[in-house]
Amino acid sequence: MQDIMAILPLLATCAGAILIMLVAAFETFRREGISILGIGLFAFAFFVQLTVENSSPIMPYSAIFNGMLVTSTFTKAAGLIILACGFFSAIAAQTYFTQNRWFVLEYYCMMLFAACGMILMTMAAELITVFVALEIMSLAIYTLIGCDRRSVIRSEAVLKYLMLGAFAGAFFVMGSVFIYAGAGSTRFVDIARAVSEGGFIANPALVGGSLLIMVALLFKAAAFPFHAWVVDVYDGAPMPVTGFMATAVKTAVFCVFANVLLINTELRDGWVGYLFWISVLTMFVGNLIAIGQNNLKRMLAASGIVHSGYLIIGLVAIGSDTVSNGAVIFYLAAYAASTLGIFVALSYLGGEDEKRIRFDDFNGLARVRPYSAACITIFLLSMAGIPPTAGFMGKFYIIAGAFKHGFVALGVLGIISSILSVWYYLRLIISMYFREPQEEFGVSEMTLAPLGTFALAAAVFAISFIPVVI
Amino acid sequence: MLATYLFFGLALLAVLGALGLILFKHPMNGAMSFVVTLISLAGLYALLSAKLIFAIQLIVYAGAIMSLILFIIMFLNIQERDLPIDSNRWFYLAGGIIVVAPIAGLMIKIAKSLPEEHPELIDGFGDVKTVGHLLFTEWLLPFEIVSILLLVALVGAVVLAGKRGVN
Repeated sequence: MQDIMAILPLLATCAGAILIMLVAAFETFRREGISILGIGLFAFAFFVQLTVENSSPIMPYSAIFNGMLVTSTFTKAAGLIILACGFFSAIAAQTYFTQNRWFVLEYYCMMLFAACGMILMTMAAELITVFVALEIMSLAIYTLIGCDRRSVIRSEAVLKYLMLGAFAGAFFVMGSVFIYAGAGSTRFVDIARAVSEGGFIANPALVGGSLLIMVALLFKAAAFPFHAWVVDVYDGAPMPVTGFMATAVKTAVFCVFANVLLINTELRDGWVGYLFWISVLTMFVGNLIAIGQNNLKRMLAASGIVHSGYLIIGLVAIGSDTVSNGAVIFYLAAYAASTLGIFVALSYLGGEDEKRIRFDDFNGLARVRPYSAACITIFLLSMAGIPPTAGFMGKFYIIAGAFKHGFVALGVLGIISSILSVWYYLRLIISMYFREPQEEFGVSEMTLAPLGTFALAAAVFAISFIPVVI
Repeated sequence: MLATYLFFGLALLAVLGALGLILFKHPMNGAMSFVVTLISLAGLYALLSAKLIFAIQLIVYAGAIMSLILFIIMFLNIQERDLPIDSNRWFYLAGGIIVVAPIAGLMIKIAKSLPEEHPELIDGFGDVKTVGHLLFTEWLLPFEIVSILLLVALVGAVVLAGKRGVN
């Protein structure tokens, strides 16, 4: 009973995806019906995940699945973030498709499949399983980006992401092969045993294997040497998909990252020195890219790189105590709420065919739509890390963790980077509040996205009150 | 001894085929030299007594997938004049080699660190029954979730290639 409960969220998302796939074949369900169904299924899966009670780690069906799945409070929190991101992206998509006429019926089906792959990724405790889950997620995301075939920019984005993603996948498989050669198994428990018995640095196969896996994960997380694709792909993807990618995909990837680093402390210590430099470079390169952008979506993509940098700071300190693990998941939740909030807001403010996308297009938004402008301001302040928002608490936990573990330089650089980032977040606030409006920002139909925006703005404050206990 | 000669011959063929894939200008020549790589890989699997993988490599990769690729190239009917002029290819190739060289060094180090002795093969190693038994007992979960992966790929292909204009 406990076993089936533990994997119920996974089953719910997967069954939901198949349900939409089947329903899309009937004439009776059109855009509105399928949208409501998709939103409802995400909400259902969210509540299923919420009811799962696992204070201690469980291996569901350990005899049948050979201990390849592990659920814990960590995976539960990650699952909740992923499904909430899916729910709000689905709300954004519902509104988006009233203004952008290229809806395909399988859109929500692919979103649920992607969520299914992400939940599987967070639960997997074996490298081949992680790889298959990673590919489930990636294939669904490629499809979501490329749904609108009329647009050249979408095709470019999907081609770039597909090619580079295939490289990352190949690196991951190659890494798994080396780890198998070094440890004799791809299960995390066996790798941990092999490392503690034979040592980590003394085993070149393990070092090389984990290096290649790091490369693949850093690519998916958009960290420094592998960040070049992010801006173009995020810019090319449709608005709700960009929001989904920036939040849910990042959550899943960082959970796998944390799981891999948590295999063994010796393995983690072997990489901490390099992760230090990667996080510093990720933050500052991301900031440099973001400062130069005039396009809002590209700025948000670049700021996603910066936030990956902060999350890697969190990873440097991970595993040593419970608070550090909680800090990463807390930051992911805080970042997801604020980033997704902006993307939900842009889904209805963007207008037909995403015509409003530059900073100047939002001049004077506060005069015309004061509540939306206020929400966007809250999200931007949270991303910049201004108290009392969730973004501030997230940065606080992460930087406090870095100080506590002796990475004082890293903590200080994190604060400097966070101050730099205020530059481009304030730019949008200035154009919304201190410029004259040039248009009406009309929204054609009654839609759900404004409600989603207000809910997320409330969430930004609510999340900051959650104490880190994981 | 024969196995060693066979290994070096097949490995050389595999690398030459892969080089041909990236160096030939016309996609059809590239695809044909890729077939050489796939078949020599099948030979390498046979040397490792992996009978099932040997057969699958020949039937699925060298057979089914390659003929699909050839079909697509023929459908597109790519002529010499359709190909882009890549005047900098040698420059990029040199750059790539410089970037990849340290990784190659690491690979050699890893390969040297692997144990030299040959473990005894279990009875029925690499045949259908043993592989199937392993797949459905120890590796059940990855096997099951591959079905989700295939479903996603199928639906994704239909979405990307299907008719437009549903609303």
